[in-house]
Amino acid sequence: MISTQIITAILGLILATTIIVLIRRDHLHTRHALWWLMLAMGIFILGFFPIIIDKIGFWLNIKYPPTLLFILGLSMLLLKVLSLDIQQSSQEQQLRRLIQKIAILETELKQYQNHEHK
Amino acid sequence: MSLINQANIIILIPARNEAESIHEVILDIRDHFNGEILVINDASTDQTAQIAEQLGAKVLNLPLQLGAWGAMQAGLRYALKHGFEIAITMDADGQHQAESLLDLQMPILANETDVVIGAFPQRGSTARVFAWHLFRLLSGISQEDLTSGFRAYNQQAIKLLASPEATLLDYQDLGVLLLLHTEGLRIQEIPVEMRPRTLGKSRIFSSWWAVANYMFYTLILCIAKGFFKSPFISRRRFS
Repeated sequence: MISTQIITAILGLILATTIIVLIRRDHLHTRHALWWLMLAMGIFILGFFPIIIDKIGFWLNIKYPPTLLFILGLSMLLLKVLSLDIQQSSQEQQLRRLIQKIAILETELKQYQNHEHK
Repeated sequence: MSLINQANIIILIPARNEAESIHEVILDIRDHFNGEILVINDASTDQTAQIAEQLGAKVLNLPLQLGAWGAMQAGLRYALKHGFEIAITMDADGQHQAESLLDLQMPILANETDVVIGAFPQRGSTARVFAWHLFRLLSGISQEDLTSGFRAYNQQAIKLLASPEATLLDYQDLGVLLLLHTEGLRIQEIPVEMRPRTLGKSRIFSSWWAVANYMFYTLILCIAKGFFKSPFISRRRFS
């Protein structure tokens, strides 16, 4: 039982380190760090003290407490993916408008240059 | 028909690889209209832009492909920025006939409506007619021809459709109608003749997969943006 605890805690630490390294190398924007570091911390803490899950499970009247862990984990992932899609949509919107603006400015610039030459 | 000299009107033609038809389309427009023609070149890989420029049309070159509506919106934003009072949209494949241009502007000039749709509901297969019925039912929109790209917009409509709110749409059809509808703009349909598409094919109905995709996209739009809205749009009956 102890070994499982240690392995999970180490996983949490590895995740946290990876996040820091990714930010250091500019592969990950700082604003995404909070979510992932909190997740790493969650894994670390729950890894060391699995009793927490048991306690909450008991409190919520769940017969097999690890189920709670799966439900929580899946919901967090779903939320994260959904927020990614929302963000992606807003970026798509910005990108489209930027492309439109560039095209308009380019045409205006050309018009202006033709005017200058005449 | 005499030339209409209207400096406040702009004709918008989104085009992607339409080199074969753009020539005739612009010449046809020139026979009936001497204002500004703007071709929005949606990252074409052929001579579309050069041909349009040679014929005296202004060209907006999109650096990346935006699709039919993205290109159209670029044109609408140009129209808004340059203070045009009416924007008329046409397809680059020659379906729409320039002789209907005047009919399209008249209701707006008379301030009877904000948007005019040149409608040709006779076209379309049974499946398409069925789909349109379904979409009308779901969206509460009463127009006959939901996909016609032959439309005239007044300044109020141009302003709305140039806004970021309309940027994430993909086609100039139901999504645009729903937005106009929600904002309470008046939409009027007038019957026009359309030529059968001779060159090229529909951007939307290019393959079964594309059709399925389009149907799903439209269905979602209907449900998300139009469900249970009462139709209050004025509409001229087809005689």
